[in-house]
Amino acid sequence: MINILWRNIKWRIQNPIAIIIPLLQPLIWLVLYSAVANQTLQDTGITNYTAFILPGIIILVTFGACCSSGMINFIMKSNGSFFRILIAPISRTSIVLGQILEAILISFIEVIILFLVSLFYSVTIASGTTGIAFMVLLIFITAFFMSSLAYTISLFLPNEVIYETIMTAIVLPIFFLSSALFPPENLSGGLAIAVTLNPFTHIINSLRSLIFEKSILLENILPVIGLFIILCCGSFALAIWKLKKETAN
Amino acid sequence: MLAIEINRLIKQYKNGVKALDNVNLKVNEGEIFSLLGPNGAGKSSLINILTTYYNPTSGNVTILGKDLSKNSTWIRTQIACVAQRISIDEHLSLMENMLFQSKLYKVNPEIAKKRIDSLINNFELSKYLKYPTASYSGGIKRRLDIAMNMISMPKILFLDEPTIGMDVNSRKAMWKMLLKIRNEYKTTIFLTTHYLEEAEQLSDSICIMKNGKVLTQGTSKKLKNYINPNMIRITFPSIEQAKKCKYTIDKIGLTKFTNIQDNSILTNVINRRTAFTSINKWLLEQNIEFDSIEIIEPSLEDVFLTLTSSKESEEEEWK
Repeated sequence: MINILWRNIKWRIQNPIAIIIPLLQPLIWLVLYSAVANQTLQDTGITNYTAFILPGIIILVTFGACCSSGMINFIMKSNGSFFRILIAPISRTSIVLGQILEAILISFIEVIILFLVSLFYSVTIASGTTGIAFMVLLIFITAFFMSSLAYTISLFLPNEVIYETIMTAIVLPIFFLSSALFPPENLSGGLAIAVTLNPFTHIINSLRSLIFEKSILLENILPVIGLFIILCCGSFALAIWKLKKETAN
Repeated sequence: MLAIEINRLIKQYKNGVKALDNVNLKVNEGEIFSLLGPNGAGKSSLINILTTYYNPTSGNVTILGKDLSKNSTWIRTQIACVAQRISIDEHLSLMENMLFQSKLYKVNPEIAKKRIDSLINNFELSKYLKYPTASYSGGIKRRLDIAMNMISMPKILFLDEPTIGMDVNSRKAMWKMLLKIRNEYKTTIFLTTHYLEEAEQLSDSICIMKNGKVLTQGTSKKLKNYINPNMIRITFPSIEQAKKCKYTIDKIGLTKFTNIQDNSILTNVINRRTAFTSINKWLLEQNIEFDSIEIIEPSLEDVFLTLTSSKESEEEEWK
């Protein structure tokens, strides 16, 4: 697992554009969108819109980083190393974990960059060190779930073009049908139901509460953690099942 | 002892294509075994099964005395495969590629270090150590690919068309390397190839496949003897004339079967001396224009063509 992780990190180091590009769009959102929205949404009661959209942007950047865990499969398949690793005496769990952990690591690097940028916009974490620990956990489980899912999807698809199209078709609706950019309280009807059913809404809300609230509302956060642990187990099992199917033709 | 034993192996894909049809094979330990066949013969399907990548539809495969279906994890520790496409990681250096592979096979770091040094030396890779792997030529990449796969000191090394696309010199260097692997490391080598010369130069045993079936298996010498005394080549000024004459020659009953090769007719006869005289006489009597007629020492290509056409002839007769 560490071996696969090391190899993938080396690939990222050689291809820094694979870190920069997924970060670029969320950074633009954070800097430009929050600057505009800060002026236009003054009556909504949001005191620091950069801090408000930061959780949503964190999730967006995590999506971007995690999608690459699937993309690496296509690169490996085209250069032949996918086959070499599959016939090596290494457990399928280690192969998937190595790849997923690399996506999680990249997610954290990008999230740290986002936090550093948001410091210039007076963003602080009101809940302190414990809140930061909870945020790390929430981001970890989000990245774990998304990267396992991306890994599985990549094994179902024939090429990277279709993969990118499918991932965009999944990620953008999830992002916009969440509480990432606006407070969901004023929504009604079908949109409100869709936003509430979106599990990422609850991750974003939890992260937001940790940024804005001094006290940690465990009764709100723990069910979200529980839900995502179940989702992580499911998506990880799916990834291993699909990888095993690769050698069961 | 047998390195590989295959009994009644069948591989049928979900789309209904039968890639392997009742294949039986035996590969001895420590030998170079070549699997020859045209595209679609089933060579890659067979190698994919033997390297645990695909599951067979039915049949038994025993590798190093153990059943493949029940011991795939153990078998993976005993084999390595150099795939058709070069599989080195170009973002890693030569040394990093070797280290990565050694860790994949859980080779003790101390032992791995010694093996890496020995392989770099034996495969003459030391002068490339300081250059990025992406800048290597195809031949050097292939050499590194094979060296990497030797890091675990596999008992069986599979090579799927390792010299495809190589120039003559690189191919000869590769043959030298494979012989070195067999002689120095006592590794059983199982290779697939399109090149009959390659199989002839390298192999202890050869198997010829077509349409998922084994046409024949034996030593290079034995396969040559199969038709050696009774091959005649008649060369014509054009391929059209060769085709026209083949039809007539088939009817006169002097040949067992014939095949067109460029503008020549390659024919297998019952007795080469009698047939040589008779065909020559017949050609002159019929005023058929031809450039030459000769008794030939067949190459493996001739063996291959003869075998495939003899099977076709048999099939035709059964229809």
